[in-house]
Amino acid sequence: MSIEAINEQLLRAIGVGVALVDADGLRFRFHNDTFAEWFGTPEPDARLGDLFPGLDLGELTTALEAGGRFTSETTFKLRRRTMVVAMDVTLALDDGQRIAVLVCQNITRIRELESMIDSYSMMVERNTRELKREKEQVEHLLLNMMPRKVYEEYKTFGVVTPRLYQPVSVLTVDFAGFGDLVQRTDPGVIVSELNDIYTAFDRIGEQFGCERIKTIGDVYVTVAGVPDALDDHASSVANVAVRLIRYLRQRNESHPNAWHCRIGLASGAVVGSVVGVQKYIYDVFGPAVTRAQRLRLLAEPMTICADAGAVAALDGRFDLESLGPRQLDDGSRVEVWRMSEPALAIPGDSRV
Amino acid sequence: MDRSVYERYGGFAQVSRIVLDFYDRLLEDDELGPFFDEVDMARIVDHQTKFIAMLLGGPAHYTDDQIARVHAHLAIGAAHFDRLSTMLAQTLADHGMSADDVAHVVAEFDRRRTFVVKP
Repeated sequence: MSIEAINEQLLRAIGVGVALVDADGLRFRFHNDTFAEWFGTPEPDARLGDLFPGLDLGELTTALEAGGRFTSETTFKLRRRTMVVAMDVTLALDDGQRIAVLVCQNITRIRELESMIDSYSMMVERNTRELKREKEQVEHLLLNMMPRKVYEEYKTFGVVTPRLYQPVSVLTVDFAGFGDLVQRTDPGVIVSELNDIYTAFDRIGEQFGCERIKTIGDVYVTVAGVPDALDDHASSVANVAVRLIRYLRQRNESHPNAWHCRIGLASGAVVGSVVGVQKYIYDVFGPAVTRAQRLRLLAEPMTICADAGAVAALDGRFDLESLGPRQLDDGSRVEVWRMSEPALAIPGDSRV
Repeated sequence: MDRSVYERYGGFAQVSRIVLDFYDRLLEDDELGPFFDEVDMARIVDHQTKFIAMLLGGPAHYTDDQIARVHAHLAIGAAHFDRLSTMLAQTLADHGMSADDVAHVVAEFDRRRTFVVKP
């Protein structure tokens, strides 16, 4: 078999569609088997436009005249499958005759893959958006349970190292007659009112750099100086304490249920840590927390009891009345002060 | 948490081969292929990608309502559903999936029968 015959046989058998057309009349002179399989056998006198009515022949001729190449894409159905074929036309000379060589590559699989990648990308992107939203919700929940700085540590290292914070000030509140109120009031109303009150407490606390640590029923605990040190921590809790009372006094005037709080303030050391493994919570404990809780029990409704540490740094900005040494419920005796806001309102202060 | 079949078999890199193979078999099949006669290629591929990804526990989630809605206009009979089930099992097995995993995926598929097959 001659080289020419081998070449022709190869050309006929390859998986690329090949056709030769006159560059001037665009009449078919040769096509291989693959070309016929895809586009049908051209009639003896057929022109390029007969098989490809969608092809822009003017553009093709112009491109070839300019000595360049022409590329296009065509689709057709092979049984029910959409086939996509890339067409590439270049100019060649055969014994002085100008021939346009049309090479057709099957790019169906590439297009199918592109469609699949599009589909997959959209799924993944949607999932990513959903995950991001869920992550934000989880973060929001965790930030309700612990200070941001502690959360950042937890997120980075998976654990929170217990730390001693000193000095800090602790404020604890509860409500006189809460048990009675719960018994005679609809639970939904109690929860809703408690929710309002705690939200207001949080807002007031935030204004003075306090971090709410927890609530246990009607007991609310907030701290100044955790996790970021605060120079005027005692002053912060004192400011918060007087405003909590002011807020409740105003609220009681316009609500059927009156809430009378008792507040304990103490300064000293606390340990802050995440407690628990499966059900974890950020908590603070230590002498300042215990003392604030005990001082609260000495307070009359709508009054504040503070220890020596808490009042030492107040610089006369609040009215203080010494109650003398009092015995706490653990048997210890400490100097106790009743603290209240000065008779004159704090000038220029709009924070409740 | 247990890893899904999708993850255990190499994620999208491997699952994409299953998707395209399944797509080929579906179009070649004279019973099921006609459902896709008039459907745009990109849409069929999209459908198959989500279908396989969902059954294997990949990043596609469709509620039963959504599945019922997109198949509502198609006259799908029990024989069609069974055929697709067989074709799915065969394709997964041909790609090296264990018999247990194939059974699991086919069960996931079969769970949706009532939302797709017309009485």
